[in-house]
Amino acid sequence: MNQTLQERIELLKPKNAAKSLNVLGRMLMDNREMSLWERDTRTLPRGARRWRRRALEFAREHIRPLAARADLNPYDFDPKPLLAKAAREGLQTLLVTPPIGRAYTLAYLRGISLQTAVVAEELATECGGLALLLLAHNLGIAPLALSGDLAAFFRHFVPYYLKLKFLGKSDTMAFAITEPEAGSDVEDTEGGARARLVTTARPTAGGFILNGRKCFISGARAADKFTVFAKIEAEGLDSWSCFLVEKGMKGFSLGRRERKMGQRACDASELIFEDVFIPGKNLVGKLRSGWANNRNVLNYSRPVVGAMALGHGRGAFERCLEFCRATRLGPRLLIEYQDVRLELADMMISLWAARSMVWQSCRQFRCYQSASAAAKVFASDTAYKVCNQAMELMGDHGYLHLHGVERAWRDSRLTQIYEGTNEINRLALFEHQMTTDFNGERSSETEQI
Amino acid sequence: MPSETQREIGAEELHRYRDLARRFAKRSLEPLFAADYPDGNLAFLPQAVEIAFSTGIVASPEPSMPGNVYGIWGSATDELGMTPSLLLLSTIAETCAGIAFCFHAQGLASNLALPANRELARSPARVALCLQEGFSPPYLGTINEPDHEAPVRISTSATVDGQGYIIDGKKSFVYSLDGVEAYVVFARVGEKWGAFLVPANDSGVVRSDVGPRTGLRACRLENVEFNRVRVNRAARIDEGGARELVLRALGLNWAGMSAIAVGIARGAVSAARRYAAERYQGGSRIENHAAVKLLIGGAQAAAEAAELSVFSLTACDFTKVRTLVKPAATKMTVLDLCARAVTDSLQAFGGYGYMEDFGMEKRLRDITVLKSAAGSPRYLRQLIYDIERDDVE
Repeated sequence: MNQTLQERIELLKPKNAAKSLNVLGRMLMDNREMSLWERDTRTLPRGARRWRRRALEFAREHIRPLAARADLNPYDFDPKPLLAKAAREGLQTLLVTPPIGRAYTLAYLRGISLQTAVVAEELATECGGLALLLLAHNLGIAPLALSGDLAAFFRHFVPYYLKLKFLGKSDTMAFAITEPEAGSDVEDTEGGARARLVTTARPTAGGFILNGRKCFISGARAADKFTVFAKIEAEGLDSWSCFLVEKGMKGFSLGRRERKMGQRACDASELIFEDVFIPGKNLVGKLRSGWANNRNVLNYSRPVVGAMALGHGRGAFERCLEFCRATRLGPRLLIEYQDVRLELADMMISLWAARSMVWQSCRQFRCYQSASAAAKVFASDTAYKVCNQAMELMGDHGYLHLHGVERAWRDSRLTQIYEGTNEINRLALFEHQMTTDFNGERSSETEQI
Repeated sequence: MPSETQREIGAEELHRYRDLARRFAKRSLEPLFAADYPDGNLAFLPQAVEIAFSTGIVASPEPSMPGNVYGIWGSATDELGMTPSLLLLSTIAETCAGIAFCFHAQGLASNLALPANRELARSPARVALCLQEGFSPPYLGTINEPDHEAPVRISTSATVDGQGYIIDGKKSFVYSLDGVEAYVVFARVGEKWGAFLVPANDSGVVRSDVGPRTGLRACRLENVEFNRVRVNRAARIDEGGARELVLRALGLNWAGMSAIAVGIARGAVSAARRYAAERYQGGSRIENHAAVKLLIGGAQAAAEAAELSVFSLTACDFTKVRTLVKPAATKMTVLDLCARAVTDSLQAFGGYGYMEDFGMEKRLRDITVLKSAAGSPRYLRQLIYDIERDDVE
């Protein structure tokens, strides 16, 4: 009983208290001192685990030093060196397995999007804008990878692979669906039926003539090729088709660059098509298969956007935690105050829940609409909430660029908007549940199976 | 409840205040946003500030300035209560919260400096408040006694030296207009609070900009260091104890920030309504979509509730610590409501809400800064609890 309070506290800590258990009891109690990041990583399939570790290193080594500058002066920032490094590391072909891509095959078979999602979180933890810059390329590739058009796939990917392998250069891609008068419409079934689209393709000898505009295209300035969706002239959205448009094609130009609140390191630009001739070989998938391809791309990209949001929230949390470890309020560090620890714990719980949901949504071979939409909505709302908590916990320091927390906050807000606003995603989630029977009776679809 | 010295203010009078602020915002502030600048073209800011001074919107401790009495937090605040200032601030913030905050910061420091006029040969026209040190505003123990480690004592001190004082210390997050001539500095004088008017151009005053930040960028934000700055006795504002001035500084600050938040939210909701009536999606105007109705309707409800809360702050009696509870609770809840109103209004714009062109992202940045500035929700919750627990006075 002569122990000091500190000694008694030490004795009661689970790690020390466990010594009173017998061998089996001790074996059943996990007291390993390991970060939550490491614990989470160990739950992943081996390939995804490897990519998570590599992406963490890449993000810390190559993204962290650029993040503040690229956010503050995005117009002076040259993204090409970073894109090249990422391509050499294999980050740009995670939607494809070897020999062309760098996704681990076994992990890929357990979830096509999983490896991209774990990488997205790591990149976005350091900088939302630079993460988007790298991931927008994967989004540009997705229509090729998911169209089922093997000829188009090899026609594009074999030269891509050879160029990267032997010349160390990679083409960057971007995905173009949004139009000035049709944002949410092109991400929703009912909206799509009424959409006012301006980008059209007119069949002509040997190919198509493309006219119109696309807007808010992420990574357009650095992209060499674009997967562009256009309706066939005088037809509706059901005629949407996907075309591979290359920079330098006559009549194709970039328009205005949007001035955004966050994710500033990656541009959102307008694409202008004025009688652009697209050779027939640049049609991706079947003619008029664009709408289905687009909806499926969204199924695969939404969990990744959820993972990016998760990264923003985690970035805010980690930087806030560092601040609390280093800042004194009177005699004690902030982290030594119980209320601060409560708030930090709440943020961790939220992020953990979001990560579970994102990983769950891509833990089957094919991503599906309800799970993808739910993961995107939950992760982006959670990330925005966590970023707000981090800023508030830091008081006036929270809104200074210096700490990088407000940058994560600005970045996170966009994830509630793009890849379909969270309202559109909620509707998408429910679209497949309209006839679900919650009374426990088997649905007609199940009976057919 | 209005205090005993406060006279009732009529609807017509209030209408005149609002009208004055609206006309000022339309003529002097809207041109700032005519071109592509995320926070308005701040090159025009000095001109707008001059107009605000000359029309009497902005208060100043200098008696000859038009706003000295009826400007934001002018000398008539005790007589008329807070409503006129809250009305001016919220109306201006509908157009630009950064500029409203400039006027608020100037008015707040002016209000505190007014008692010094009796002593000074010449009053400064532009002033700023230096109260906060380090991480947050003072906690309850320190509000009562600046020497109290609760959890941290006030480090800025004023020591008697011959016919004056020597001021030494550092203040953080000092908001001001450009061209500040003097700071209202709160410091420890022995075991008590003292408030001093310190010339900004003194060689011992070192100002450093805090660097890039999220919002309210029209307003200057600095850390200010006072290195053995000597001031004469006439520069002391209080008469032997500035605790009530500390209460006043905190109370008026939180009330003003809440009013600015209401203005931002009102501006955001009206902009969202206008946009929803013009923008087509899915073949019809987006105002016909339930998702948009829910967003904007909820935002409006939050803004209305916040407005009711802010304008229930009337009395300007800050003689007791307990009087801080209401402005503190108002800042905490109103900022939360208004931030929700702004983010939901922005959401109704879809991708365009995130772009600088529609001014919605600026509103979101500004309101988010207000939430954390000069007393975060964590700080306010603790302060409210501590005041009730200690049942001071």
